[in-house]
Amino acid sequence: MTSHQLRALPLGDTAITISFGGEKSPELLHRIQAIARSLSEKRITHVDDIVPAYLTLTVFYDALHASYQEMSAQLLDACESANQLQSTRTPSRKHVIPVRYDGIDLESIATATRLPADEVIARHIARTYTVDLLGFVPGFAYLSEIDAALQVPRRPQPRPRVAAGSVAIAGAQTAVYPLDTPGGWHIIGTTSMVMFDPGRDPPALLAPGDAVRFENVG
Amino acid sequence: MITVTKAPPYLTVQDVGRKYSRASGVPKGGAMDSFALGAANALVGNSGDAAGLEWALGGGSIRFDRDTAFAISGATVNATISGRDVAPCTTIYARAGDALSVETILNGRFLYLACSGGIEVPVLLRSRSTYLPGRFGGYGGKTLKTGDSIALGAEQGQRPTEGSHCAADLMPRYDGGIVHVTRGTHEDLFDETAWSTFTESVYRISTASDRTGYKLEGPPIRNAMGTLPSEAGCPGTIQVPADGLPIAVMADAPTIGGYAKIAVVSEADLPILAQRRPGDEVRFELVTIEQSQRMLKRRAADLHTIGQLATRTVRR
Repeated sequence: MTSHQLRALPLGDTAITISFGGEKSPELLHRIQAIARSLSEKRITHVDDIVPAYLTLTVFYDALHASYQEMSAQLLDACESANQLQSTRTPSRKHVIPVRYDGIDLESIATATRLPADEVIARHIARTYTVDLLGFVPGFAYLSEIDAALQVPRRPQPRPRVAAGSVAIAGAQTAVYPLDTPGGWHIIGTTSMVMFDPGRDPPALLAPGDAVRFENVG
Repeated sequence: MITVTKAPPYLTVQDVGRKYSRASGVPKGGAMDSFALGAANALVGNSGDAAGLEWALGGGSIRFDRDTAFAISGATVNATISGRDVAPCTTIYARAGDALSVETILNGRFLYLACSGGIEVPVLLRSRSTYLPGRFGGYGGKTLKTGDSIALGAEQGQRPTEGSHCAADLMPRYDGGIVHVTRGTHEDLFDETAWSTFTESVYRISTASDRTGYKLEGPPIRNAMGTLPSEAGCPGTIQVPADGLPIAVMADAPTIGGYAKIAVVSEADLPILAQRRPGDEVRFELVTIEQSQRMLKRRAADLHTIGQLATRTVRR
């Protein structure tokens, strides 16, 4: 990627979004995640938070002590140098999440995909997923990409409450609900793994770029 | 300690919110009107990161179980302390046993109460603020109910002077309904017509508005984007979904979103938007990022001035 594609845009007066241009792709996502990790290791003064996404990364900063002009110039520089280094970066963390495939939507997914329930489970555990990004609620990690045969649009009506630990799929992605929240994904199982604990540092089990496998524990 | 003797419909512990955990999907949270909380804190001699109570949707009462300085700020209310009227934005000393009653919220949306020493609850993710959707922070992640008691921290620093008052010119212009914004990260996705609709129309706060976001009613903003690949937003981001009716995301909004961001409310004016009720009008005025950051510095300086007013030595 050449440097002229990087653009800094103000997201209000306390954040800057660095746009990398281009189309959504796993390669671009992973590059942005690597740059975000590298920026965060640099511990740039007055930077509070770094949030990588599909085409951008966003840096939150203390606008009382750093102007937009100063901070955006500094970030563009840092992103460019990180962009050159990132090919040597070590791979991310790996997680195995134990799942009881007892979800209330397992049968309806089997029907919709015309696969036996056992085959739905087998295909869900067969892949290693990567964390695209976190959002929706604290600790909610969007994992890509599930087997094409399992891809079903989200439920037309979200449920008012999905229990924490629910393992779910929707579209090309899978996720674990970290908290009891409303939710429109199809629930295929349950894990006892604590995905988010505000008393832990970091509070979320998963981080962007992490590799995740699910294990069937009955 | 303070005890809730008659809980309002909504009462939570809030401070300036959370930094450093957005990458884990944790919203900033904190006070919807952080300036009003900051002013109340400054008037009782607290530091800017002290927690106070955020109060909304109706009246109620609390009892102070120890002597303390307190101040209220934000929404306009009629309030009394053991029968005497309570002036807003004023340092008042309460005695143990005194009852603070708020009869009604007359104008604005969120009332803040600060007590010297601040509200003492465990710090989670470097903040005492309540995040209701996640049921953590503040008072066990919950709203305070009648009968709940909550600790006050040890008083710090200088004792504030009774009767210190923060003049209106140090506060945001809550009544004007003018909210300054900077251009959003997707400004290029909106054509001239869309921009003139946005900046020349009057929008009304919808009933669909809460700590997560305020939906705005008014002329739809033409757009053809649908959803975009998700990316980070922040409180004050004004996003435009397919129906063209803008949504201003607020303190508890998810950290990322997929709608086009036309503008972002200046941090200095976020309190003005936050205090608008359903049915109230707002107009958006564009400023540059430099102007917006100057306004923010001005607010910080004003808070500092209020703190100095309250803790200066009284001359006789």
